Amino acid sequence: MKVNGIAIDDTFAEAFGMSGTGVVITADSLRWARQAANVMSGFGTSVIGCGAEVGIDRELKPEETPDGRPGVRVLLFGFSPDAVAPQLKNRVGQCVLTSPGSACYAGVESEKRIGLGQGPRFFGDGFQTAKRMGKSRYWRVPVMDGEFVIEETTGVVTDAVGGGNVLILGNDRAGLLTTAELAVAAIGDVPDVITPFPGGIVRSGSKVGSKYKGMVASTNDAFCPTLRGRVKSELGPDTVAVLEIVIDGLSSKAVADAIRAALKSIIDNGAAKGVTRVSAGNYGGKLGQHHYHLRELLP
Amino acid sequence: MSGLTFRLSAAPDERLDLSQLTPGRLASIPLADMLRLVVGTSKRGLTVGDLFAVSGKPGDTVKIEGGSSRLDFVGAGLDKGTLIVEGDVGVGAGRQMKGGRLEIRGDAGALLASGLSGGLIFVKGSAGGHVGGLSPGDKFGMTGGLVVVEGQAGDRAGDRMRRGTILVRGRVGAFAGSRMVGGTIWTEIGFGADPGMLMRRGTLIGPTVDKMLPTFADSGKHDLVILRVLSRYLTATLGPLAPLPLSGTVRKFAGDLATIGKGEILLTA
Repeated sequence: MKVNGIAIDDTFAEAFGMSGTGVVITADSLRWARQAANVMSGFGTSVIGCGAEVGIDRELKPEETPDGRPGVRVLLFGFSPDAVAPQLKNRVGQCVLTSPGSACYAGVESEKRIGLGQGPRFFGDGFQTAKRMGKSRYWRVPVMDGEFVIEETTGVVTDAVGGGNVLILGNDRAGLLTTAELAVAAIGDVPDVITPFPGGIVRSGSKVGSKYKGMVASTNDAFCPTLRGRVKSELGPDTVAVLEIVIDGLSSKAVADAIRAALKSIIDNGAAKGVTRVSAGNYGGKLGQHHYHLRELLP
Repeated sequence: MSGLTFRLSAAPDERLDLSQLTPGRLASIPLADMLRLVVGTSKRGLTVGDLFAVSGKPGDTVKIEGGSSRLDFVGAGLDKGTLIVEGDVGVGAGRQMKGGRLEIRGDAGALLASGLSGGLIFVKGSAGGHVGGLSPGDKFGMTGGLVVVEGQAGDRAGDRMRRGTILVRGRVGAFAGSRMVGGTIWTEIGFGADPGMLMRRGTLIGPTVDKMLPTFADSGKHDLVILRVLSRYLTATLGPLAPLPLSGTVRKFAGDLATIGKGEILLTA
């Protein structure tokens, strides 16, 4: 099946159930809110090696934030609420509390809650105070530029999805990168999702396991163009590069919407930039609970 | 919106305890039994039927028409629905209220919102002393909820208050926030003498203070993010009743240093 000259594989992206939480970071300017969000999202690409997958969902206008300042919503995904909580505490404590002018609020509403300010408040060394407004409690931690305000808890959902993906294949590496960038930008308009890898793009897709003991994942040799001829390659003779976009979302619908947005962007922009084919990563359908069939999500 | 209306026949000649006249308590009482409810506080045993003309059907609203400073404990224990008083009320209005809305379209006596833990109290006129304060036998004053007083508030507002917010459009009397443990009192005109006496935590916000206790330390001018959060919370909760958002910096006084000193008086002018 070809759309706009791009072959769409009859396959599906296989994704996994995860727990997801989020925070809203505000600051005196959007630049500084984003600065804190970027640092908090650092080393948050893969839950296997980083403990959590973290990224910016979207920027928030002043009227959308609890304190009326510009903000950024960051989402964080892990295997369970118990795994998410320490990651959140450490990242907020080291990356948001420390950022000039920042404040941090709950970014997900749900019945189930995990600590947000419960750990960082102790930085106040007894000078911290709390203020309850409605159902929310805010901690005020004295810091050298005034006060760090942080909400006590944030919501966590256990029906989040991690590992939704799209593979972009083509004959022009630079064109592929541009196409992938445009697809990531399109996903940016979809709420409740992140693309946790650098710039939202992965060049090192992996397979489960390795010839080396202790490695839980290793290079996806079937999609490595330089191994064509040596392994059972999935690539055609004209493919010089493959880039992957990995998507995590607070719900399965959000991930499906993100894949749909990515596919539309790739189809609209890709052919002229050397994209020849779109595929998706899966493990035969036996590991992940969520399957996203590419052809069902075409625009 | 359905509900009952209690029209006061004449000014009562004794103090009345109207704590039973809430939507929740009246929901399951037949009219005949309702008229026999004792609301008098003397040995005469005055009943609802002796004092009020009752109309309407039980619902989510109760309206009391004809106020008096002898109508005590109006809305006490209210947990849902709306209670409206067209006139003045006496002491203890909204005492230990847990939810719902109490609207007093007149003045309120002492101990308004004492022990309040949830819901909204709105007073069109002024309130007496000890708004949100401690009643004898209680451990704390107000522990949650919102109180809006359009007029003035008397002395010792928020005495031993623990949580919640009191917003006074007019002036607040002396010793506001005495023995306060938490929560917020916000006046748009100013505080009387010695606010925050022996307060441990909590926030007093206003443009002026008649006399500041020597046990409050000047911490300087600050742009506090928490005040932005508070302003937006009040705007979202109260709508047009909310105070104008604070702009710019406030001058912070920390105290009462005769206790743990984690409270604050924030001067907006």
